[in-house]
Amino acid sequence: MFSQFETWYRDRHEYARKWKDRTGGKVFGCFCSYVPEEILVAANILPVRVLGSHEPQDVTEQHLFGMFCPFCRDVLAQGLKGRYEYLDGITLAQACIHLRQAYRAWEENVEHPFSYYLPHPMHVASPHAVPYLKEELKNFRKAVEEHTGVTLTDEDLDRGIRILNENRAAMHDLYELRKGPAPKVSGLEAMWVTVSSTWIDKEEHTAEIRRVLAEIDGRDKDFGEGTRLMFVGSENDDTDFLGMVEMVGATVVVDDHCTGTRYFWNQTPEMDDRIEAIAKRYVERPACPAKDHVVRTRFPHILKLAQEYDVAGVILIQQKFCDPHETDMVPLRSFLEENGFPCLFLEFDVTVPMGQFRIRVEAFLEMLMEEDLF
Amino acid sequence: MAKHKTEALKCWNKAKELREKYYKDYASAHDRGGIRWTGGAWSFDAIPYGLGDDVYPLTGEPYAASIAFNKEFSMKCLEATEAKGWARDLCSYMRNYWGSMYLNKFLFGGPYPKPDFGFQDHICCSHSKWYQVVSEHEKFPYFSIDLSVGPYKDIQGNPHKVRYIVEQMHESIEFMEKVTGREYDDEKLIEAVKTDCRSTSTWAKICELNKNRPAPLEEKSMYSLYVFGTLSKAKKEFADFYDELYDEVKDRVDRGVAAIEDERCRLMSDTQPPWGFLKLFRYLETFGALSIGSLYTFGLIGNWETKPDGSFCARTTPMELGVSIDSRDKALEVLADWTLSRPEWQHFYDPSLKTEMMLQIAKQWHVDGIMLHLNRGCEGLSTGIMQNRNGLAKSGIPIMTYEGNMGDEREFDMNRTMARIESFMETLDLQPLEKA
Amino acid sequence: MVTIGIDVGAKNAKILILKDGEILISKYRESGFDQAGVTTALLDETLAELKLTRDDITSICSTGAGRKAVTFANEVVTEVSATSRATFEMYPEVRTVIDVGAEEGRAIRCGERGKVEDFAINEKCAAGSGAFTEAMARALELTVEELGKISLDSSASVPMNAQCAVFAESEVISLLHANTAKQDIAKAIHDAIASRIVSMTRRVGLNKPIALVGGMARNVGFVHSLNAAIEDEVLIPDSPEMTAAYGAALIAAERAA
Ligand code: SF4
Repeated sequence: MFSQFETWYRDRHEYARKWKDRTGGKVFGCFCSYVPEEILVAANILPVRVLGSHEPQDVTEQHLFGMFCPFCRDVLAQGLKGRYEYLDGITLAQACIHLRQAYRAWEENVEHPFSYYLPHPMHVASPHAVPYLKEELKNFRKAVEEHTGVTLTDEDLDRGIRILNENRAAMHDLYELRKGPAPKVSGLEAMWVTVSSTWIDKEEHTAEIRRVLAEIDGRDKDFGEGTRLMFVGSENDDTDFLGMVEMVGATVVVDDHCTGTRYFWNQTPEMDDRIEAIAKRYVERPACPAKDHVVRTRFPHILKLAQEYDVAGVILIQQKFCDPHETDMVPLRSFLEENGFPCLFLEFDVTVPMGQFRIRVEAFLEMLMEEDLF
Repeated sequence: MAKHKTEALKCWNKAKELREKYYKDYASAHDRGGIRWTGGAWSFDAIPYGLGDDVYPLTGEPYAASIAFNKEFSMKCLEATEAKGWARDLCSYMRNYWGSMYLNKFLFGGPYPKPDFGFQDHICCSHSKWYQVVSEHEKFPYFSIDLSVGPYKDIQGNPHKVRYIVEQMHESIEFMEKVTGREYDDEKLIEAVKTDCRSTSTWAKICELNKNRPAPLEEKSMYSLYVFGTLSKAKKEFADFYDELYDEVKDRVDRGVAAIEDERCRLMSDTQPPWGFLKLFRYLETFGALSIGSLYTFGLIGNWETKPDGSFCARTTPMELGVSIDSRDKALEVLADWTLSRPEWQHFYDPSLKTEMMLQIAKQWHVDGIMLHLNRGCEGLSTGIMQNRNGLAKSGIPIMTYEGNMGDEREFDMNRTMARIESFMETLDLQPLEKA
Repeated sequence: MVTIGIDVGAKNAKILILKDGEILISKYRESGFDQAGVTTALLDETLAELKLTRDDITSICSTGAGRKAVTFANEVVTEVSATSRATFEMYPEVRTVIDVGAEEGRAIRCGERGKVEDFAINEKCAAGSGAFTEAMARALELTVEELGKISLDSSASVPMNAQCAVFAESEVISLLHANTAKQDIAKAIHDAIASRIVSMTRRVGLNKPIALVGGMARNVGFVHSLNAAIEDEVLIPDSPEMTAAYGAALIAAERAA
């Protein structure tokens, strides 16, 4: 039922190349989930999120000091190895300083016709964030227009907004299926869907979700047996790990990842000023810890998800060396535990020691079961 | 035979006293009805001065560096932070500072002096988190200003960028009035902004004097002097001290007084040194090598610009340009614009801008070799450092790197670093002095 | 002219005697705690074997981590310079030399006449050195030699992350639990070190042909993985662990001339 998403997940490069051939359009690599894709889609550009490949590599050490996170090094390796040679442009919406370096080192070493560093407010709780981002988005829009030679009209922007919003709505409908006691969708399947949505043509992707949703009622299997878990962390596209967790008796029903709910959770509102609407959407989306200032908006949001999806426990996934998450983990953990959600903390690298993690996950699940008993 | 005459700095003791007084004044501020706030070395410290003449900051980075210098206390602090579950690879300044708070011990005696409010700005990912955690633990109100407007070169033609910061500054004043119950004095703000510009440009002028051969200062002493800018840029006492220091260093140059007797090789460094191991710099001297400074010591606090003739010099102050600063808004705008050009802020957006400045220093300060500290303790200043290395290497200047940590001695290996320096000295054809 | 190079490493002390550019003899022994005593004894024995006395010697140059323990040396150089100098003598066309010993991995860019132009050294973590293979061999209950040999029997590529030795060790154990064949794990280990060494070498520039020296050059499994990673065959001298001592002797001769 979800095989199309799995194929998309695996063959991301082939898909993008074919999309280019088929449509004659341009493809832009996005280095952070804060890139305003509405504007790219309005310009008929295919935005693809740049992720790593989970393989050891030997090409980044001379460009990126080893104290920075494995994810940003894995991302850079993809560029240096030429895996994304088909990109017509790259853009980073100001992310943590780790990912910024992957972007800058990539830009320095790999040629693409377009490269744009989009400054982005880091204090999304501030009343000044939206007006500021609006101005930055105007600049970005202008740069995209200059590059493509097309002036974007309000209709174009409306189309971009609509296409993104439809995909977000479809993802929400899919996530709804995970709320009940017998989810019709496994966590692994959901990960194929959400991660692939970051690089597949959104209209095509939405249509495929809608097709699955139309059929899913007739599905004869569900995942109600498993202990309900939530994943929280930065980027996570590690299907091997998630697959293992579900194999040993859990069902992952919700997440707070920038390749998951943080990416699609909220809609771009309808406003006369389209650019302001887009700015508002990105400022108000569930925050990345790097941008969750000064008041914390992230913790209550995560708690709400945990409650709504009725999870028994949370796996906190920490990319080694990721400072923004590391600075949230300690208070987040006590916050969740105080609210009745036990946590398992795991530190991730490009590859993970599966055997060891398996033992820890199993022990965690046992612990959760015992809590059920008493 | 000594080639150059050397002399101790006359104002050395005064520097020591001023620094001690800073921490004492902070700790005892409440006894005098004064205000204490904590934040970063880069906070816009001119703004709280509008609350009155009895306002005392405690800036985290230099405080944590002082802790790191005291290895025993530092170890206790780091362990206290780890015991709370924090990762060992976080900013080591932040971990030392937090440890001092968790232990409830102030390095300069007594318990951790709880501030009345926190006031930070945010360019490094750890900046705002640092005091988010402190304010939650100590339960005080906290404000932080986001600086995510991109490099200074993009400011022109984009007035919204400076406005974004100015709007937040206005809000911060309202915040301070609210949490202190004091009325804000714009005249004091205007004075403080001028003082900030004065001290940060004077520091740059002092560093410029190191273009001379022999260099009147070496970097190890500069560390004890640039620190005032990190304590408080807008404090009149410190700005006056820099004026005095400038005169003294200028006089050294005029009289040919050198930092080291036998200057054979001029090096440049980068990022914070491992604070507990400054004897590294003494080791360099045994080869007749000295560090003339770095973009770090020059431009962490000092403000610079490239003049039309290409020379890298102290930035001309708004006062020298005749800008009239006559309102709160104008003062804030001047402060924002002035600070955004800070050299050590540019690489947060694009490391090539830092490489360019480093190359300017290498050339204009007659640098023979570069030593980069790959500093695991500071994600902020290590950002882009390998790209800097590659850019500098292209110019043909010999470079060495060594790994370490400014504030966590467990991540620094003195012997291996010395061995590496020795190899580097060989590549520069330098022999230990007693042999040569 | 007779000159001597003495390389006092973390594990072994090595001596090499040079006469008018020809190597007369080379020897090594465990350096232990008493580096000064061991090197003195080694020197005297070696001289006696050649029927030479200290008076016949023009100059002695020491190198290696324990170089300062050799109080009777009249020249001291670091192993970086010594290795570079020897490499030039053996392979004048080589511009990149990789030196992997027990404690450290190094990459050196050599310029004209073996002058060091740039160098990189692996950091405190042991994941790029001989000590790493030893630890991993122990985990697999093999000798280092066996570890090297069996890895040649594998053509699998199991990804392993060698950012840090501790982390890698836990990966090895995970792989064992997952019933991965020992030869495949052995190859994964060598691939991981090779990857780490190549990573470091790229910092100084990976210009072929590349020479490989130091004790790890004797590990066939590592050499195989390294060759695969650089897509070329590294040049290995007959006594790869003697390289720094040889360089020191050459430098002693040069400085005495
Ligand atoms: S990591 Fe560096 S720049 Fe960031 S807060 Fe710490 S000391 Fe400052």
